[in-house]
Amino acid sequence: MSARLQVSNLVKRFGGLTATNDMSFTVEPGESVGLIGPNGAGKTTIFSQIMGEHRQTSGQIHMGEQEISALSTPARIRRGVSRTYQVPRPFPEITVAENIRVGLMPDSVWQMVTRGADRDRERELALAVGFAEADLDRTPAELSMGDLRKLEMARTLATDPKVMLLDEVFAGLTVGEIATISALVQKLRDQGMTFLIVSHDLKALEPLIDRAIAIDRGTKIAEGAYSEVIADAGVRASYLGGGGDA
Amino acid sequence: MLQILIQGLLLSGLYALIAMGFTLIFSVGRVLNLAYGAYLLIGGYAYFYFSQQLGLPKIAGVMLAGVLGCVLGLLKYQLLVKRVQGVHSAVEIATLILAVVLQSAVVLIFGDSSKILLPIVPGVERVASAAIPYSNLVATIISWAILIGLYFFVRLTHTGRAMQAVSMDAKGAAISGIDANRINMITWGISGTLGAIGGVFFASYTQLYPGMWVAPLIIAVAVVIVGGIGSIIGTLVVAHIVGFMEIIVSSWNPELRGVFTMLLIILVLVLRPRGLFGREEIH
Amino acid sequence: MNLRWYHFAAWGALIAAMLLMPRLVDLGLMGRGTLRTMIQACYLAMFAISWDVLSGRTGYISFGHPFLIGIGAYGTAILSKKFGVPVELSIPLAVLITMIGGLVVLLPALRIKGSYFALVTLAFMELMYQLVQVIRPDLTGGTRGLSGIKTLTRGAENGYMLAVSLMLAVALGCWLLMRTRFGTALWALGQNEEAVSGSGLSTIRLKAMAFLVSAFVAGLAGAFLVHYNGSLAPRAMFDINSVFTIIVAALIGGAGTILGPVLGAFFLTFLLEWLRPFLPGAERFLVYGAVALVLYMYQPKGIYAIIEGGLKRLWGRA
Ligand SMILES: Nc1ncnc2c1ncn2[C@@H]1O[C@H](COP(=O)(O)OP(=O)(O)O)[C@@H](O)[C@H]1O
Ligand SMILES: [Mg+2]
Repeated sequence: MSARLQVSNLVKRFGGLTATNDMSFTVEPGESVGLIGPNGAGKTTIFSQIMGEHRQTSGQIHMGEQEISALSTPARIRRGVSRTYQVPRPFPEITVAENIRVGLMPDSVWQMVTRGADRDRERELALAVGFAEADLDRTPAELSMGDLRKLEMARTLATDPKVMLLDEVFAGLTVGEIATISALVQKLRDQGMTFLIVSHDLKALEPLIDRAIAIDRGTKIAEGAYSEVIADAGVRASYLGGGGDA
Repeated sequence: MLQILIQGLLLSGLYALIAMGFTLIFSVGRVLNLAYGAYLLIGGYAYFYFSQQLGLPKIAGVMLAGVLGCVLGLLKYQLLVKRVQGVHSAVEIATLILAVVLQSAVVLIFGDSSKILLPIVPGVERVASAAIPYSNLVATIISWAILIGLYFFVRLTHTGRAMQAVSMDAKGAAISGIDANRINMITWGISGTLGAIGGVFFASYTQLYPGMWVAPLIIAVAVVIVGGIGSIIGTLVVAHIVGFMEIIVSSWNPELRGVFTMLLIILVLVLRPRGLFGREEIH
Repeated sequence: MNLRWYHFAAWGALIAAMLLMPRLVDLGLMGRGTLRTMIQACYLAMFAISWDVLSGRTGYISFGHPFLIGIGAYGTAILSKKFGVPVELSIPLAVLITMIGGLVVLLPALRIKGSYFALVTLAFMELMYQLVQVIRPDLTGGTRGLSGIKTLTRGAENGYMLAVSLMLAVALGCWLLMRTRFGTALWALGQNEEAVSGSGLSTIRLKAMAFLVSAFVAGLAGAFLVHYNGSLAPRAMFDINSVFTIIVAALIGGAGTILGPVLGAFFLTFLLEWLRPFLPGAERFLVYGAVALVLYMYQPKGIYAIIEGGLKRLWGRA
């Protein structure tokens, strides 16, 4: 169920700003890697390039053996990579169950029409991320930030990924909600899922990852075991210099 | 050649005037006001009523048309746009319905058939082989006068600059103490006036009939989008591109005139949706 | 699809009631004129359904629907009248050509949204209006249009049965389609297009499918209407008023619901008829537009939502 994600010499420029600067790293199958850095370091931009929502200026992205840079976002998702968004992007006027249903759909209009919704799987995913049974029929307009993040997780999981990219999944969550999501991530790790996780909440992040990559202003400044990375002088300096928004 | 140049200038000036009233609303209110076409219609018929049916002086007819347009703009802002503001498709649809209601009001009062507008200024000047009606010449001159006036109004006066501020960043403007409601009222008023006067000229250039507003509306919106929302210079430039192209095509084959204009608009909107001088995308 | 017993009951009742209408005429409970009004309403309902499939859920508002309808109408009219193609063939061909027209409308929808898209579709309609007048007027009939087109039925009852069967088939088909996951995907598309592609679905394919279905319905209804009327006039067809009527029928009925637009179409058509005795002239259109505007401002979700809300309340009490 797992695959290797490899980013090589990735560069992204927005006009004069270099948001990703010669970035290379690999996430091995079944591994969980934390991506840390101050606000504006370029973490989300890396996710967008992996998903094909922004096209890189140069560099390659591989899923397994395949170079995926030429593929559209839906095609990349079919290859098994999927992400959550830092700012949740629910479909506001349809129910939680229907939101998850969109993630579960095959990318074929024919199959959408001929096969019905898999309500059991929708329910299963919703409960797995911590929704209650009654939440299935609510619309995102009635949900809290924490619920929206759970929904984001559920819809991402629904695409049946091999590699999950989680962008700030803990922001705005209560302690209880953080525990639920953490337990879910741990369970998925046990099942062999590969993760790349962005979080400002280092305390919640630490137990979920095998190692960490620190970036600042688009450039990788440290990589290795979490304790080493966090002890790195450059990383400390970047967090302080970046305004200490952790 | 000279003929094309002169006719091109005349038509372009007219398009610029019509488009200008539209771009104001577009940039300040962020609203695709489809009922803008109704100002043209009301302007044309108001002029017809006041100066041809009541026999008032023509200049009074033009002015009264402008006043009516202004009132209409204010009413529309107060009664309609304010209520559904924020939901773009709702504003578009509501203004479209309103335009059709006003059109049926015109049919009700004046009937369905085309009316002939007497020239605002009678007489024709011959330049080379071209016949230039004084009326069109006057329309162009007035259009230019209004455009220049507007340009300086927006650039130099306090109110004008506040309008610019609201169009760039409504929230920021509110923080710095600008009364957005007042600015919106002024903008809708000016826009209505320009539209109505443009309608008088446009009707005397072409024809006065209840469906006359659709084509100039499409042209105005397209000119504004292609020229860059809120850009007075961009609007002027593009109005001239469209005006001249239309004249050139119609000197070659008059029948293809409308076909060509619509094709041009479709192509440009599809290929360069941000416009030629645009600063952002609308939604 | 999750169909319940009351869905079958409601559809069964609707179909039976519609098909039994002509018997009311036999019993003298209804005039033959009413039947003709209902024919108009059926065609308007199909146009509104077509609009609803394209615009009701996706957020791509079409202001140029007569463009599609016109292709279907002109297609079969020209084929059958000028080239002697039998109607059994000219109608399917016209529908096919209209679907190609649907792909033309799709082109701008690949790059632009919202107001831009609405405007381009309006320009499409205007373009078509200009084109049929100047390109090959020997075929299109130019400004005057075409007349003497073969009619398919004789008498109000036959015309009604044809129109109502078509309308019910189209309505049921689209209603079922929108209840599938495809319908859910279209709602999602209208609410957040990026998130749809971020959920692994090709938005181009979804839009293409919606536009093709919409064009199919528009072409079909346009073609049959022209063979009912026997004539075709460009100025009436590509008129902003007809855009208005289609959109308003869909909106005040309830966009995105398929049945709403049918309700809206019957409401508007009969409103116009009921006003006739009191307001014989053009005032009718003024009242009609004003009613539409007020209804839209009061309940943007439409009659369907009002009825649904009312039923739910009754249900809750019982
Ligand atoms: N679409 C964009 N256009 C221009 N600049 C952008 C865009 N997206 C992100 N940036 C810039 O790229 C940098 C990295 O942003 P981001 O990846 O969101 O950072 P992070 O997720 O680490 O907080 C920031 O300076 C941001 O302003
Ligand atoms: Mg980020």
